[in-house]
Amino acid sequence: MLVSLTLLTISFRSPTSGALHDIQGVGSTVLRPFQIAASRVARPFRDAYDYFDGLANAKSENAKLRKELAWYQSHLLLSVEHARQEKALSNLLHYIEGPKFPNGYRAVTARVISASSSPFSRSLVITAGSSAGIRLDAPVVSGNGLVGIVSNLYPDTAVVTLLSDAQTVVPARDVETNARGVVHPSGAGGLILDQVAKQLSVRAGDQIVTLGTIDPRYPDLYPSDIPIGRVTYAHATDTSSFLQVELQPYANLNSLQAVSVLVATKKHHK
Amino acid sequence: MSPWDGVKIAVLLFVAAVAQVSDFSQINVFGAAPDLLLVTLVAISLLRGSVAGAVGGFFAGLIVDIASLGTLGLTSLVLTLAGFWIGRYGETTGRDRGHAPYLSIAVVTVLFEVGLLVVHFVLGESAPGGALFSSLAPAVALNLVVTGPVYWLVRRLLRPQALGDLSAEVQLLG
Repeated sequence: MLVSLTLLTISFRSPTSGALHDIQGVGSTVLRPFQIAASRVARPFRDAYDYFDGLANAKSENAKLRKELAWYQSHLLLSVEHARQEKALSNLLHYIEGPKFPNGYRAVTARVISASSSPFSRSLVITAGSSAGIRLDAPVVSGNGLVGIVSNLYPDTAVVTLLSDAQTVVPARDVETNARGVVHPSGAGGLILDQVAKQLSVRAGDQIVTLGTIDPRYPDLYPSDIPIGRVTYAHATDTSSFLQVELQPYANLNSLQAVSVLVATKKHHK
Repeated sequence: MSPWDGVKIAVLLFVAAVAQVSDFSQINVFGAAPDLLLVTLVAISLLRGSVAGAVGGFFAGLIVDIASLGTLGLTSLVLTLAGFWIGRYGETTGRDRGHAPYLSIAVVTVLFEVGLLVVHFVLGESAPGGALFSSLAPAVALNLVVTGPVYWLVRRLLRPQALGDLSAEVQLLG
């Protein structure tokens, strides 16, 4: 118990540096082959579960995807026209764009070797670290959307704190209405878009993306326009000053096999 | 306890810790995941006593803390206490009782989670009591599901000790 308490004290006082941090990094590297082996052993069982789960949901998902496809097709031509107009207007105004995803970032893709989904911490350990160019506080995405942020770094591994972790807060906006708020986990385990004034409009089905840096004096950790999720519920009450907005994240935070860490290719304005 | 038993316990706990960190922690049923490591440690503690439980809990916790790159010593501290306490129960009133593994798992799962909550709270880290208590019942149920096969396997590898090898502080008369 004394040894545990001593380790706890030293580790808590210097969580991202120091001799113990380095030893932990070496230990993690030594354990990595065993973790990968364990993942490979469990992979067929996980794949079988995903297969049957996918079969069970295929019909409803197919109908949903057809509906979404029709919606996207109807908006495609409109978006192309808007993009053309935006470019022309930006040129006219000499508009200077801030850092925007994915421009100015390169992706370092890494395998997930362990995940913590306890109520205290929602995080992943990935197989790439500072030697691959990853930095602390780098945003992490999957193919579908934002996953989290790099919260601890070792030479060959990194810890990614997930969007669903209680300490995560992401400034975000509604793509359709431009209503701004902050995304953080709700007590029930989902995500909510908080601090959205009641006067603003947010509807179920709206897409939520990262807000990015608004004032260069206060740079945001996340570049703008990374998809976060879709609004599933939005409601105003008489007793609250803010809207109650619930989100379904695009990234499946519970079964990630690999993620991409966004590394800035040039230093953005601070 | 023989050296051969020590080797078997070390291998069991190492495999359980790696499987827990790599695979079992990613299972999510009503916000909870089965804790293979805790169940294995409880089974070992019941069969081999408090010293094996405490030492095994410390090293297994250390593997978890290193592999998950968490705060070193946090899981070791709670697992050391859990291993010692269940070991004492196994050495005294719990031995040869059929319900002992299930009762131990149910109680230890609750104490383990509450213990982690307390340590996180004391360290000033996020300690969401609401989320923890809402996932407590599924966590106990999942751990009870894996208790049967894990205890059977551990009991086959570590044969129950003779009465003379156990602590003689409390003797059952019946």
